[in-house]
Amino acid sequence: MKSIRTYLLLALLSIITLVTFVSLLHGYQSSITKAQQLFDIRLRNMAEIIANANQDTQPRVAGVFEHSPTVFFQIWSDNLTLLARSNNAPNQMLFDVDIAINYKDINFSGYRWRTFTLWDKSLNRWVITGERADIRYSLAENVVTASIIPIVLAIPVAGFIIWVAIGLGLKPLRELTLQLSNKQADDLSPIEMKDTPDELTQLVITTNALFKRLNAAFIREQQFPADAAHELRTPISALKVQIHNLQKSEHIDNTDLQPLAEGIERMGQVIEQILSLYRHSPDQAMLKQTEIDFCAIVQDVIANGYDQIALKHQQISMTGIDNCLMEGNQFALETLVQNLVTNASKYTPENGEILIDVKETATAVSLTVEDSGPGIPENERKRVFERFYRVNGDRHDSGTRGCGLGLAIVQHIVILHGAQITLDHSTQLNGLKIVINFPRHKEFNND
Amino acid sequence: MQVLLIEDDAALAEALTQTLSNEGFAVNHLAEGKLAIAAVKTELPDLVILDLGLPDIDGTEVLKAIRKQSADLPVLVLTARASLEDKVIGLDLGADDYLAKPFAVDELLARLRVFERRASTMKHAGLTIGEVTLDNSSHQVVVAGNVVDLSRREFMVLKALMENVGRVQTRDSLESKLYSWGEEVASNTIEVHVHHLRKKLPEKFIQTLRGIGYIIKPV
Repeated sequence: MKSIRTYLLLALLSIITLVTFVSLLHGYQSSITKAQQLFDIRLRNMAEIIANANQDTQPRVAGVFEHSPTVFFQIWSDNLTLLARSNNAPNQMLFDVDIAINYKDINFSGYRWRTFTLWDKSLNRWVITGERADIRYSLAENVVTASIIPIVLAIPVAGFIIWVAIGLGLKPLRELTLQLSNKQADDLSPIEMKDTPDELTQLVITTNALFKRLNAAFIREQQFPADAAHELRTPISALKVQIHNLQKSEHIDNTDLQPLAEGIERMGQVIEQILSLYRHSPDQAMLKQTEIDFCAIVQDVIANGYDQIALKHQQISMTGIDNCLMEGNQFALETLVQNLVTNASKYTPENGEILIDVKETATAVSLTVEDSGPGIPENERKRVFERFYRVNGDRHDSGTRGCGLGLAIVQHIVILHGAQITLDHSTQLNGLKIVINFPRHKEFNND
Repeated sequence: MQVLLIEDDAALAEALTQTLSNEGFAVNHLAEGKLAIAAVKTELPDLVILDLGLPDIDGTEVLKAIRKQSADLPVLVLTARASLEDKVIGLDLGADDYLAKPFAVDELLARLRVFERRASTMKHAGLTIGEVTLDNSSHQVVVAGNVVDLSRREFMVLKALMENVGRVQTRDSLESKLYSWGEEVASNTIEVHVHHLRKKLPEKFIQTLRGIGYIIKPV
């Protein structure tokens, strides 16, 4: 069923046509019968009038029906001689002697006739009147048809009216459909309809209840990383401060504490990365997009993370443009740049170089991060986006510890922004080259 | 320096109190927002470390109350809710700095020292890094015993960089600092000032991160 409206129209019209046809057929038949009965009575009346009008024993031979060739009469005496007849009447006897009054259908002069035979008791004679059957029939038919035609013509009109009426009846459904189809992916507000018809009330109630539950679930889902973050970050902060205090203490050997401090540091990082991955997972995230200055984000992230880079005496510089406005989620993009810069610094040896370039076209902003580290071999480039995957497993050449989530997070954010990421070999610095192309104005991928 | 630490997590607060005491700060710790507001009303500390997630009232309420008491009391906001919205809200409400948990202790100390240096320049005391001494009261900069002549804006750029020693200052952040001090800022102002400053200061005193910003490294 493609359209309820079309279906209802066709169904109703078919039913109306069928019912009308059957009743018309029935009406036609009974009308014809009724008409025949009326004609029969007229035939009989005619016979009686002829009998009364010809009281003489020797009736005139009359051309009475000259102008009505479809009607005739005969008058027969009781000794079966033809006393009188109309011009068009045959000479032969058209009746059975043994039956006094009789309607009968007979054939002569190429037509079928309906006759009536009257036994005139006072003059002992028979009066026969007859009428052409086809004329009677077509007369009756004309009358009946005249009453049928308007009904047949009314069917298309009824069809049009039904079409409009169904349209009006389905209006609430159309309104509901429109409201649902106009909903944004993240809009879980209830549907509001004026004058909801009974048939749709339950649907609207159930849908709204579903939206409400879904909304609550979404809020819970979004709340979870924040709650988890809060519950985990504070104790980790405490651990970090405590280990710092221990390291400063004069009574304890610092070398024993170093692995512990590193362990705490790593745990903190892994938790941050897992939360970040969860927060930016494309089926999870509902990111607000605003106009942001991508260059400012890159500069801020580098400035805030410069300690790590300075510690390894690495050179970092940014080329390209100074200002580039694009649509995006600031926090997500900060996370993305942070992951790329942290990775670059982590895997680039001391005194290495990191080069960041931002370019723009009318439709896209492109970020390139190159480093003088070991790079990623071509056959590994796809796998590095998998969660918890690390090049060469845990025996990474750089000896650097990580959890293998950085690029997975980056990819999530890339997908959320409808961007594209490619890994390549940096010809300039001989390490890894990552290029991300962001569309400048794009609907967020929240599907 | 008198520090008011507003943090509800006992373990973190205790450890921080010890750290800060070791670093020479006098720490007053409170675990509830309302108590903190009352404390600020009684006596202004030199510096506030405020955790936004408090059990009784929202940390932002505490921040507002502090700002009512004092417009320029330095407030460092700590938060476990590391989302941009929180950061923006915090800074909009007048936090001077923002640190997301879990933070590195050195990072926290570095930021506190920025406050300290800023406080000392405010109190017209000198600020010295290597051969360079900046005196906020006389607007004078002395390099290896010689007074150098700086324009007002050059002085401000240098002051911002010296107060934030060891931390990269992006051009945007320098521009907004100049702007907040009531200076007109043209698009290439910072580059020009830094260029002039370089000529008057020891070599490599101000280092450039190409395309990113400037830094004065601690000696």
